[in-house]
Amino acid sequence: MENSRKKSGRRNFLIAVGAGSSAAIAAVAAKTVPQKEAAAAKKDEQGPGYQLSEHVRKYYRSTLV
Amino acid sequence: MTDLAPEDAARADFYALLARLWHSGPDAALLAAIAGAGEMVAEGSQAELAGAWRQLKAAAAAADAETARVEHEALFVGTGKAPITPYASHYLVETGRERVLVALRDDLTQLGLKRDQASFEPEDHFAALCEVMRHLVAEGSSDVALQRQKKFFTRYMHPAYNPLTDQVMASTKTSFYGYVARFTKAFCDTEAASLDML
Repeated sequence: MENSRKKSGRRNFLIAVGAGSSAAIAAVAAKTVPQKEAAAAKKDEQGPGYQLSEHVRKYYRSTLV
Repeated sequence: MTDLAPEDAARADFYALLARLWHSGPDAALLAAIAGAGEMVAEGSQAELAGAWRQLKAAAAAADAETARVEHEALFVGTGKAPITPYASHYLVETGRERVLVALRDDLTQLGLKRDQASFEPEDHFAALCEVMRHLVAEGSSDVALQRQKKFFTRYMHPAYNPLTDQVMASTKTSFYGYVARFTKAFCDTEAASLDML
């Protein structure tokens, strides 16, 4: 499929430049980030994005030290 | 996030790191974490990102948190007009800053996002844009999610990152942030190229 061909091209590129295979590298640094300070954008819990907000809260929790 | 591909998890983390570094100066723990993080492995001709990461690690190892904090403040905050503005709308050639902010707020609302009440920064701060990208990347690796990332990156981050990082790299007042800027540019170049493949 055209779409999956494009996606694998992108994935191979990210791995070739070193960005794709280094999740652990960035995570080390990202874990020390106090997300409350860095977060200039946040879910609007009353808004249309409500269904996604639990998702985000979980993600934020997962990144807190 | 079970449906998040490893390369996208890495991107989300790098956006988180960039958001933190552009928002305010690093503390000692963050400097130590960057300095102690692993090397990036890149294929021969594609070494810019890995090289920029290696230099940022070295700079973090050599930097002092208080000096880096003062440097961030001197560059991007300042009293009156800061030497270098971190607000993306400044670099968008179209229309005025207010109109860009209105459009950005509309787009954020559509994405279900809004400014943290506790933050005094307008939405177009480069750190805020990185934070939005982090959120969009963390939403998953589906076609829809990737297209959403591509749209936001192309509209707001792409026009801003080159002039912003170029100014920081050209400044004579930087030490640590010169390396932050170089890594940011290399990372955003990678983002632009990879999103362009979709």
